[in-house]
Amino acid sequence: MNYFKIWLAGARYSLVRTMMFRGDFFIWSLVELLWMGVNLLLVAVIYQHTPSIAGWTQYQMVMLVGTGMLVQRLLMGFFWTNLFELGRNVRSGAFDFFLSQPGHPLFMASTRKLDPDGLANSFVALGVVIFAANKLNLHPSVLDMIGYTLVIFAGLAIHYSILVLTMSLSFWLTSTSGIEGTYFALTEFSRLPKGAFHGLARLVFVWILPLVVVSNTPAEILFSGFKLSWALGLVGIAIIWLSVAIFVFNRGLKRYASASS
Amino acid sequence: MIAVFSKYKQAFILGLQSNLVYRWNFLARGLFSLLHLAAAFILWGAIFTVKPTIGGFNLAQTITYFVTLIILQFFIGAFNEDYQISEEIRNGLINQFLLKPINYYLYRFSVFVAARLVSGALVLIPLIFISPWIGSYLVFPHDMWRLLCAIPAMAMAAIIQFSIAYCFGMLSFWFLEIQGFVILSMAVETALGGQAFPLDLMPKAIFNIAQYLPFFYQMYFPAAIITGRIGPELITQGFMIQAFWVVVLLCTSQLLWVRGLKRHTAVGG
Repeated sequence: MNYFKIWLAGARYSLVRTMMFRGDFFIWSLVELLWMGVNLLLVAVIYQHTPSIAGWTQYQMVMLVGTGMLVQRLLMGFFWTNLFELGRNVRSGAFDFFLSQPGHPLFMASTRKLDPDGLANSFVALGVVIFAANKLNLHPSVLDMIGYTLVIFAGLAIHYSILVLTMSLSFWLTSTSGIEGTYFALTEFSRLPKGAFHGLARLVFVWILPLVVVSNTPAEILFSGFKLSWALGLVGIAIIWLSVAIFVFNRGLKRYASASS
Repeated sequence: MIAVFSKYKQAFILGLQSNLVYRWNFLARGLFSLLHLAAAFILWGAIFTVKPTIGGFNLAQTITYFVTLIILQFFIGAFNEDYQISEEIRNGLINQFLLKPINYYLYRFSVFVAARLVSGALVLIPLIFISPWIGSYLVFPHDMWRLLCAIPAMAMAAIIQFSIAYCFGMLSFWFLEIQGFVILSMAVETALGGQAFPLDLMPKAIFNIAQYLPFFYQMYFPAAIITGRIGPELITQGFMIQAFWVVVLLCTSQLLWVRGLKRHTAVGG
């Protein structure tokens, strides 16, 4: 409850700030919208030439891309700016600020700011998913929709953990500028269907790093119905990743030596 | 003339030295590009299992296109020139150029050329490393004339890329923050510059429109010449449009610089 209050205060501050810089909000919303457009354009162009990719039809692929974007936009909206700044703050010593706050430093450092443009675009991504579901003539049951929401949040937890792990490297390395690029490079794989991965790529991107499962599972729930084993599997993976991320962050925290005199 | 040249030669040497400092950064970016290449490989590999050719090209030719793009990006692409220029304007570092007989565009361009030589050389390292695996997918046409055409196409593409970044940097005279604009244009450039997919796969009507936009000449045009995706007729026409955009962007760069300076206040001693 206490954490919720802290989060709410941060959210209120972020919204007020956004109202102050409306032009910025507009530009950044447009940025995210255009990037989603690029991904959808890729799908549209490819399906001009082929009826399916790894067994996925055009609108199934649109749904996959929409789902991948939904998870990513939620991450952008809730956590991205905070975690991006984490690396810089550790280097500059500004991270001290979070240590003196009334909560676990990871919670405080990851929830300080909200990005309303990312959240606004998550509705656009959801719109893409609904559009694709319509085109595919799907009529998901309430259970399917609950299952979809559950695995989306499990996916968000996995993405969050991967980002925390990446940014925690800044406790050990002196320069981590550009390290967030790793996350973006990896998310490219989450927009591909599982069946396209073979051999080593399948081992790495489907099994070791669960990025492909994160986007494929929710989409598959909508096509072929909710399966408890899938949802529980993904929630299990999310718990493992989150635990590892918290563990590594805590270990890093012990190394943090501040930078002030 | 020689005096003018030697001025910018110093800037070039300075650029080489300062960019060699960032060699690990460039190498890391080269490694990220390999991830991008792996994603392209997986996606296009799956697409080509259904059909042997798409748009008249097979899997190897398509992979060759993406590898060429990566090399071009490190040799002629603008990286963070827009931010560097923006920083120099905001911190007042450009003030020193106002009093000296140095053209700021040419100075920055000399540094840009030096930076690209460093990053271009560095991206070859991971590519050589993975060549045993991708070697069999690299199929370049054997026409000598294509390589000869590629040189001016790459030079003009570099000017277009740099000038667009320069113009975005110039926006700092008017706006506090340019990052939003830069990433916005990056999305357009990724799609219409041919980085997401070879532009010739787009419907004919859209391809014809894209051909008149500057983005077409940033990456796709030189890459398509080298990899044989466009023929002599389109190349001849392309050179004219590319030259047109070079002139337009050079004029815009100059115009923004002159207009921007009128708004600029140099503070401090």
